[in-house]
Amino acid sequence: MPPVTHAPPLQIAVSPTRVAVGRALRHGSFWVGGLIILVILLAAIFAPWLTPYDPSIQDLGQRFVAPVWAEDGSWAHPLGTDGLGRDYLTRLLFGARISLMIGFLTILISGTIGTAMGVAAGYWGGWVDLVVNFIITIRLTLPVVLVALVVVALIGSSLSLLVMVIGLLLWDRFAIVMRSATQQLASREYITSARTIGSSTTRILIREIMPNIMGPLIVVASIELAHAILLEAALSFLGLGVQPPNVSWGLMVAEAKSQLLFRPWMIAVPGAALVLLIFAINLVGDALRDVTTPEGKA
Amino acid sequence: MLFFILKRLLVTFLVVAVTSVIAFLLVHMSGDPAAAMAGEGASASDIAAVRELFGFDRPLILQYLDWIGRLLQGDFGRSYYLRMDVVDVLAEHVPVTATLGVLALTFALALSIPLGVLAALRPNTVIDRISLWLAVAGQALPSFLFALGLMYLFGVYLRWLPISGDSTWAHFIMPSVALGYYATPAIMRLTRSGMLDVMQADHVRTARAYGLTPWRVVVRHGLRHAIVPVVSLAAVQLGFMLGGSIVIETIFSLKGIGHLAWESIQRADIEVIQAILLLIAVAYAILTLVADLLNAALDPRIRIS
Repeated sequence: MPPVTHAPPLQIAVSPTRVAVGRALRHGSFWVGGLIILVILLAAIFAPWLTPYDPSIQDLGQRFVAPVWAEDGSWAHPLGTDGLGRDYLTRLLFGARISLMIGFLTILISGTIGTAMGVAAGYWGGWVDLVVNFIITIRLTLPVVLVALVVVALIGSSLSLLVMVIGLLLWDRFAIVMRSATQQLASREYITSARTIGSSTTRILIREIMPNIMGPLIVVASIELAHAILLEAALSFLGLGVQPPNVSWGLMVAEAKSQLLFRPWMIAVPGAALVLLIFAINLVGDALRDVTTPEGKA
Repeated sequence: MLFFILKRLLVTFLVVAVTSVIAFLLVHMSGDPAAAMAGEGASASDIAAVRELFGFDRPLILQYLDWIGRLLQGDFGRSYYLRMDVVDVLAEHVPVTATLGVLALTFALALSIPLGVLAALRPNTVIDRISLWLAVAGQALPSFLFALGLMYLFGVYLRWLPISGDSTWAHFIMPSVALGYYATPAIMRLTRSGMLDVMQADHVRTARAYGLTPWRVVVRHGLRHAIVPVVSLAAVQLGFMLGGSIVIETIFSLKGIGHLAWESIQRADIEVIQAILLLIAVAYAILTLVADLLNAALDPRIRIS
């Protein structure tokens, strides 16, 4: 008879969520990324109180004021002003609002669509799976940037349309990952048990499946958040995303493009903000993947 | 194998058919094409005239069938703005995008395969870390910023390369790098994991024991196997690049399909737009089909399951 090993009962009682949270708090990149996102988020929320200027009010007497690090710069406009005399730091702060807002609203839409499709395909399999797979293939066949540009250009750009279009385009990764995560669960014993004791399908999906695919869902959400912000920036850069008087970092880069030769920092500043935000989201995403992967499977 | 090919061909056909409907509906249902073509400040009677002239007043299903019917005869319609047949417009722009795509893919493979192999041969060393960080940094850098950065460094500051146009080979260097860079992380990771697996295999150990040179072991006995899935990934990435070239082409004023699409979108040249949408989708569908068939041909396990 093999020797019986006794596991300490306390360790069994800890919930996976507590384990994940505990590991996250000990994860370096979670802290670094989270802190950067928090700072950008606070800057976005409190933008109107952080700066005396308005992001869209033009002051043609103050065109192209140099930033503070230049010889003729001053603290009145720490990042200088743009070609229409608008304070660049103010535009940067207000740009954070649009980027984050579009990013979060978008993954709300794409996450809902993708998760619903993926879970349905993974749980029921059969023809549901076939249909979902076909829809995913169709979606992957359509070029994202081009489709978004066409719709926005023909309907007319607005923030809500932008959110809708990006949300309706970027659900594919949610669907693919949720499908395989659900597939792995669908044949587990506890699902069969739940079915045997007469749990309704709704109850099984909400109480048994959903809590157990939250890990991968959060990881995909972080990837897609970055993806959505990048897509918004690209569309705005091409002139068919966020429209004035709204500000977005992609739009700022587009407006500064003509200054590449003489004032490259005007591209570098909103560009760096964008890179920093995406980098921070990716850091948190990587950390979340580490902490939600079961022990020993990393 | 025949069954597998037929099944994949059927799926590709269905995908292309549905995509053509979507391309058509996107252009015809996002607002009023007649109003967009008539331009801002056009009177109601102008718009009505445009609507009748281009047949937008007919039922959508008839317009779609008419479009598809003409497509099948090689007639892609006519650009109202350029006053040319869409086929001729496309023929002018496709070679530029095709050149860009092939060069970008070549750059991506030339960078990512050696890095992937090195990272696999020396896991968890400096080379492995550098290639990992290259991928992480690349994911955070939007392609238009990367392109503008290249433009500033090599075009404006060092003045080594031309920054706009497509008349010489030198014009393609920066756009290819800017576009191809985004395919490198995925190809690199796949090469790395494939090499890590194959270098543990018995036949590689045997090859080593035979006293073959390390180079020969790595290339002939290692990479040859690890490269199989990379081939199909490369085909898919090429498809992504064709769709994503719109940003790069616009920045570098490369007169390819992406640039044409951007211009056509702004002048509501809907016959050109729907032709490009369909063209890119078909190219992607065919490339994934080729990828799947290549995979099945190179790896018998796939076509059996």
